[in-house]
Amino acid sequence: MKKTFKGGIHPPDNKDLSKDCPITGLVKLPGQISVLMSQHIGAICKPVVKKRQEVEKGELIGDSEAFVSAKVHSPVSGTIKDINLRSHPVLGRVQAVVIEPSEAEPACPPEQNSFADFSEDDYTPEQINEKIAEAGIVGMGGAGFPTGVKVGPNPKMPKETMIVNACECEPYITCDYRVMLEWTDQFLAGIKLLRKASGCRKCYIGIENNKPEAIKLLRERTENEENIELSVLETKYPQGGERQLVNSVLGKVIPTGKIPPMVGVMVCNVSTAAAVAEAVIDSAPLTHRAVTVTGKGVQKPANLYVPTGTPTEHLIEQCGGLKEEAVKVVLGGPMTGFSVGELQTPTTKTTGCVLCLTKEEVGEAKYLFRQTPCIRCGRCLSVCPEKLNPTKIAHAVKADRLDLAEKHNISACMECGSCSYICPANIEVTGYIKTGKIRIARANKDMPA
Amino acid sequence: MSENLRVSPAPHISRKHSTKTIMLDVLIGLVPASAAAVYHFRQHAVILILTCILASVAVEYICCKLMKRENSLGDLSAVVTGLILALSLPPKLPVVYAVIGCIFAVGVCKMAFGGLGCNIFNPAMGARAFLTVSFGMAMASWHLPAQMNPDMPGLGPDTQVNAKNSSQEQKDQDVKLDAVTQATPLSWVKKAVKTRNAEKASEIIKSNWPNSQLKYALTGNIGGSLGETNALALLAGGIYLLIRRTISWHIPAAVLGSAFVFAEIGYLFDKTAFANPLVHMVSGGMLICAFFIATDPVSSPITRAGTVVFGCGVGLIIVLIRLFGAYPEGVMFAILIMNAFTPLIDRMLPAKPIGGIPDGK
Repeated sequence: MKKTFKGGIHPPDNKDLSKDCPITGLVKLPGQISVLMSQHIGAICKPVVKKRQEVEKGELIGDSEAFVSAKVHSPVSGTIKDINLRSHPVLGRVQAVVIEPSEAEPACPPEQNSFADFSEDDYTPEQINEKIAEAGIVGMGGAGFPTGVKVGPNPKMPKETMIVNACECEPYITCDYRVMLEWTDQFLAGIKLLRKASGCRKCYIGIENNKPEAIKLLRERTENEENIELSVLETKYPQGGERQLVNSVLGKVIPTGKIPPMVGVMVCNVSTAAAVAEAVIDSAPLTHRAVTVTGKGVQKPANLYVPTGTPTEHLIEQCGGLKEEAVKVVLGGPMTGFSVGELQTPTTKTTGCVLCLTKEEVGEAKYLFRQTPCIRCGRCLSVCPEKLNPTKIAHAVKADRLDLAEKHNISACMECGSCSYICPANIEVTGYIKTGKIRIARANKDMPA
Repeated sequence: MSENLRVSPAPHISRKHSTKTIMLDVLIGLVPASAAAVYHFRQHAVILILTCILASVAVEYICCKLMKRENSLGDLSAVVTGLILALSLPPKLPVVYAVIGCIFAVGVCKMAFGGLGCNIFNPAMGARAFLTVSFGMAMASWHLPAQMNPDMPGLGPDTQVNAKNSSQEQKDQDVKLDAVTQATPLSWVKKAVKTRNAEKASEIIKSNWPNSQLKYALTGNIGGSLGETNALALLAGGIYLLIRRTISWHIPAAVLGSAFVFAEIGYLFDKTAFANPLVHMVSGGMLICAFFIATDPVSSPITRAGTVVFGCGVGLIIVLIRLFGAYPEGVMFAILIMNAFTPLIDRMLPAKPIGGIPDGK
């Protein structure tokens, strides 16, 4: 029996566009790199550099004293041109350190030799933890929770099992898949380090069955590993949702609105594991990541090794530019990513994909925002991976009844977008729920609307 | 390059379907039954189906105009309502009554509540109920399918005489055979129960329902409403909807399953007074109800558990009315009664989030 969870959807995965493109470095660096001071969930960093200052590659440029936060480093050597507001894919406009690179040669993916003959016994959990925090590593799957905080000891919720989220369940994205195929040593080293640092006994790699090459390779490589086990899951969205993944792999149910540590599980992403290996073994901070540039709206889809803070436009140009049919550019996947109107928007540590969609891919009705009345078909309920009643929550938000929305567990919604995807009336169910959450947060903080 | 880019909340892709494609699927699913209706009842079927569809569409158009709303004909729901209403009517119902039915279905049962998605009752069934209480005689006169042989074995004794007389008349006056009226299978059964004479009842049931009669019900060679006589055509359409995933299997299974169970209980209790459950399955509006009417998303519950309860309720009420009620057939009232319970069912069986806290608690 295939391991899976209840609910979910099967959108066409469109991974063929980029899945055979190896990760390559940029041909040339952009003229300016804007490193946003908010790369993660948690406190926004403060710049620790000044205008016109010279910075080295890997130098600290942003830091915060808050517990839930992660340091920000310069991805290139160069001069600080400006410290100013720049557009952020999620938060609107956020302070950014703008660097003009001085080096001519853009960076290449890390040398793999150093990861092959490594032993996790050389490091103590404390050492690993410190290096992760120093390197400013955040969850690279999308949410961006600081890894240092996640891995660190928490006496209230001891971690027993670790699950590596290798599902990459969103359509189009292939960067994690390429990382597993090309940076296998680094990836596996990162897993071992994370396992040691968190004190987990067993580690599972949860991977969807639409990646047979990666499954075969990892199976060969983990055959002799006692504590690492491959868990092949059904291809379904959102198989990579933390709560769904834990349910699929371990059969454990996490209480409504709670997170995996509640049941002693730590979930981390493929790219995060790779970044941990680099941080611990090479002492390199997290400044680059693999990014998939894809969609039928871009000329030549590719997987690129990208410095954090590169403008979206530069990545699209590197891939031959947008096609005329392109109508939407999304940072992140098609289900949870953020559409950008300004192509200057820089990538962050959590940007795994630059998606250029055509009108045909978006769909006529969705393109025109054409909404018809809800016919109570219940499709949103049957696909909701959290088994909520999305229509009811959306109706409550629409009617400005935030109390009702809370009663219907609006906070338990993970915003996976399955309900909007399936809705025949093309209602932006997820959009309403997101709005509702923001309004509830504002009401609780007495913030002006 | 960025001027034409669109910004909207995630997700940025959606399944390529809409309310219109769902309605279109229902219409395609009803094609076999409609074709069978035309085959069995000839021009009467054509006239009724066309009248109902056109009248429903016209009523919706006028309502939209009056309510100063955007024209909503594009979602095809008015066509579906018209077709289902037509298929639930007796073949030779006067066209005027059919038009009145459409006005009631779309104008009162649907648009007066606020249009598609807001109606509490199934519009077609609401209209049929309205017609039944308003024009009882016309709604209870059944006509033989055109190709039915009046000498066919198994017809009720009284019917047979009628049929023969009619066919004699037909020869004399050169009118078509479809002028013949006849009781529907379910009215035979009803008659058997009503006589309260066990011996006579068993005789009627036996003489009208030898096993070979199932064959006639399956192929539609029997009296009844336009679209309910041909069980095979309805099954084919229902299977199409299930394959296309336009409907989930829960409601049809619940309706048919519960009706079968309750009919079986009656049958075991008194074989002479109640018909074989298989008879109930293939006769009357049972199949069209299970696949096309009870599955109306708007007026059925929204959760899986709710739809199962709804379906079981429909099945139970159909059988209760058929066995003990004043009408030979119970689909229409079963649907309307359960429609009224839908909000309650939704409230009693809310969605249960993964990990415990039920919705709305």
